[in-house]
Amino acid sequence: MKGFKTIVIAGLLLTGAGILAFGPRAGAKAPAGRVRVQYWEKWTGNEGSQMQEVVRDFNETVGKEKGIFVEYLSMSQIDRKTLVATAAGVPPDVAGMWDAQTAQFAGIDALEPLDEMAREKGITRDYYKHAYWDACTYNGKLYGLVSTPSSIALHYNKEIIEGKADELRKAGFDPDVPPKTMQELDKRAEVLDTWVEDGGRRYLKVTGLLPIEPDWYLTSLPFWWGAEFFDGKTQKLNLTDPQCIAAYEWTASYSKRLGKVAMTEFKAGFGGFNSPQNPFLQGEIAMEMQGPWMANYIEDLRPSMNRWRVPEEKQARERNFSKLDVGMTRGEVEDVLGRGEKSGGDGVVWDAGIRTITVRFDEGGRVSGKRMELLPAKERRKYTQWGVAPFPSAVPGLENAAHVGFDVLCIPKGSKLKKEAFEFIAYVNRQEVMEKLCMLHCKNSPLAQVSENFKTNHPNPYIEVFDTLAASPNARTVPSCPIWPEVAAELTVAAQKTYLLQKTAAEALAEVDGRMQGRWARFRELQKARGNTAMAEAAGAAGAGDGAGRGAGEMAGTGAAR
Amino acid sequence: MSESKQLAKGLAFISPWLVGFLLFTFTPVVLSLYYSLCDYSLIQPPLYVGLENYSNLARDAVFWKSLWNTFVYAAMAIPGAMMVSLGLAMLLNAKIAGQGIYRTIIFLPSLVPIVASSMLWLWLFNAKLGLFNAILNMVGIEGPGWLTDVRWAMPSLVLMSFWGVGYTVTIYLAGLQDVPRELYEAAEIDGAGVWGRVWNVTLPMLSPVIFFNLIMAIIGTLQVFAIPYIMTEGGPAQATTFITMYLYDNAFRYLKMGYASALAWVQLLLILSLTAVAFWSSRRWVHYQGK
Repeated sequence: MKGFKTIVIAGLLLTGAGILAFGPRAGAKAPAGRVRVQYWEKWTGNEGSQMQEVVRDFNETVGKEKGIFVEYLSMSQIDRKTLVATAAGVPPDVAGMWDAQTAQFAGIDALEPLDEMAREKGITRDYYKHAYWDACTYNGKLYGLVSTPSSIALHYNKEIIEGKADELRKAGFDPDVPPKTMQELDKRAEVLDTWVEDGGRRYLKVTGLLPIEPDWYLTSLPFWWGAEFFDGKTQKLNLTDPQCIAAYEWTASYSKRLGKVAMTEFKAGFGGFNSPQNPFLQGEIAMEMQGPWMANYIEDLRPSMNRWRVPEEKQARERNFSKLDVGMTRGEVEDVLGRGEKSGGDGVVWDAGIRTITVRFDEGGRVSGKRMELLPAKERRKYTQWGVAPFPSAVPGLENAAHVGFDVLCIPKGSKLKKEAFEFIAYVNRQEVMEKLCMLHCKNSPLAQVSENFKTNHPNPYIEVFDTLAASPNARTVPSCPIWPEVAAELTVAAQKTYLLQKTAAEALAEVDGRMQGRWARFRELQKARGNTAMAEAAGAAGAGDGAGRGAGEMAGTGAAR
Repeated sequence: MSESKQLAKGLAFISPWLVGFLLFTFTPVVLSLYYSLCDYSLIQPPLYVGLENYSNLARDAVFWKSLWNTFVYAAMAIPGAMMVSLGLAMLLNAKIAGQGIYRTIIFLPSLVPIVASSMLWLWLFNAKLGLFNAILNMVGIEGPGWLTDVRWAMPSLVLMSFWGVGYTVTIYLAGLQDVPRELYEAAEIDGAGVWGRVWNVTLPMLSPVIFFNLIMAIIGTLQVFAIPYIMTEGGPAQATTFITMYLYDNAFRYLKMGYASALAWVQLLLILSLTAVAFWSSRRWVHYQGK
């Protein structure tokens, strides 16, 4: 028995030692002579591996030259983990956060300012589309640089619109031209609503538009009304601005028209965004707000929407491309692709719908190479069952209003390798690197200059629309307000109460205003008491007699922010 | 061995637990009491603000809403789960063929990770594609938007909570098997029917087990978090915002650790009070064998 015990204990010890010696390691080891920069990022799956590709490129080029090795670590709840690690004094050197966290973390002194290092690298406000740059700054200091951005536009289903073309024309609209004003959008949406009768009840089968689908941009709605919930210049919360109220009341107008129950029940039947049951992909919603990534989701989940009316023969060519092998004869290639259509450039070209296939043949008539390329973006548009246009604004003359969002690379306070970390951030912000990453993630570019290659070969055929919106003077981001995540959570509830017709928009927003004005005022007081000079300057900028602590009634008469 | 040596040896043996408890439970608990009197974001040093967090709590409409939701949930989930689990335990206690299989089937859902079961139930509750509404449609009833309708979101979560009664059923089952057979025989001789035996024998003899499950249910339901956080995120319109979710949001989304600590202490006091009431009432309805 004793011998058996000894064997078991020895076995366990040996296993433990084996795991310690040969088991998995936390991450890649830095090559000798290079400092290891820890980079924490939220992305997993495709987006994660695409960013890792950029990290690899850096390590093999600039990193090698400057003795830096970036180690990519993907994790969930990046903001919370970065916060705890920073508090413990062992932060990552680079953290990939969400836009709203720039001001939130900067406001509590949790991020390193990047101004000086950015200046040294020639990265200035003019290098960027201004909306992104401004949102990376808090109280005049730069606290992050964009990794990938987005802008939000109207997406519409051409097939649904085509099906209702006569009714749209009767209502005085051109079905081939997207709506230009909010009023027009609402009227078109009404025409596109499709109801069915079953058992004496009317059901919504297709809706023209649902302001609550997706419900990600509810707190940004005032942008299309020429207003903002937070004025960065005066540091005031404008929650009861009449235009903000009008924006929220717009969501209720749909509940009143469609019926609250019909609207919520209809939405309750939708599948998840990242699923083939996505209502836009299912044809249950004719128009919605979405970002440039939608093209990738459509390609993954319903590729037929990107090959609208492409003859089956051409789609088959695209599918069969992988069957082509070097060494095949011309006849064998034609068995797979059909007859080649034209000779051009360096080979024979086949039309494969949204792509072209080029096959090179050697002197013996055998395949020596092949490639498949996307058509230029604008040419691809005729094959998409969906279209993109700026989301119309409710205020005459307010052109290209948009919400723009982004992921941001920051250096948490306490990082021992600030300069090395910034080398990597600056590398990601090189035009060619940024464009590569944004094309992989199917996003627009945050940079002022955009190359022809980016516009032509981007996987989203409408990328120029997103780019125009991002560069628009009417593009707006999440506010640079340290308590914005809390305000946004409250505003989301206010929007829900409004569209569920529990309260009017004015009542719901006054409720939030009553809570958040005091909270914002107290936050600034406490930061001043801590000697947070940045906050003291911000409070000074806001001036005496600001909106802090004011009641809803007093704010009700405030005009639009702009 | 002298008494002091025995004490030292004893302490040495429990030292791994003792050190862990002091470092990772006792110290954080004491610190959280201090932080509840501070403005604290984790990054900057805590700034003492006295009872401000507690007075803010008293005026915080979302806190009261989340507290009300928590009590409503507890009021529905605790008796509901106790009845379902006791009923299942009684059925599983019957001597029937395949008893082991039935017991396994009832217990299995408890082993499914919360995230996985939440995803599964999200589909079951889907108004258009979900199984519940499909079944209701078959009998001519139009199902609701289970998780999107303000009136149905809370009952839906309560319904889902019954999915995980496997552990409680096991405890009831053990208690049922401990009830002396002669008591049933005596009751039968006295003319008691099925309900008479349940009311006069089973329930009194099972009362210590019911009491234990009640205490665990009070503690569990007043801390409900993961399922609503995954399935409804507190919505629609705060219909399913519970106190632990509000605490979590304050701590990790809004970086208000001081306020979250105050919330945690209020929650602890509530759980303690309700547990104390349960203990006080137990003198009237809990019967221990041999007493």
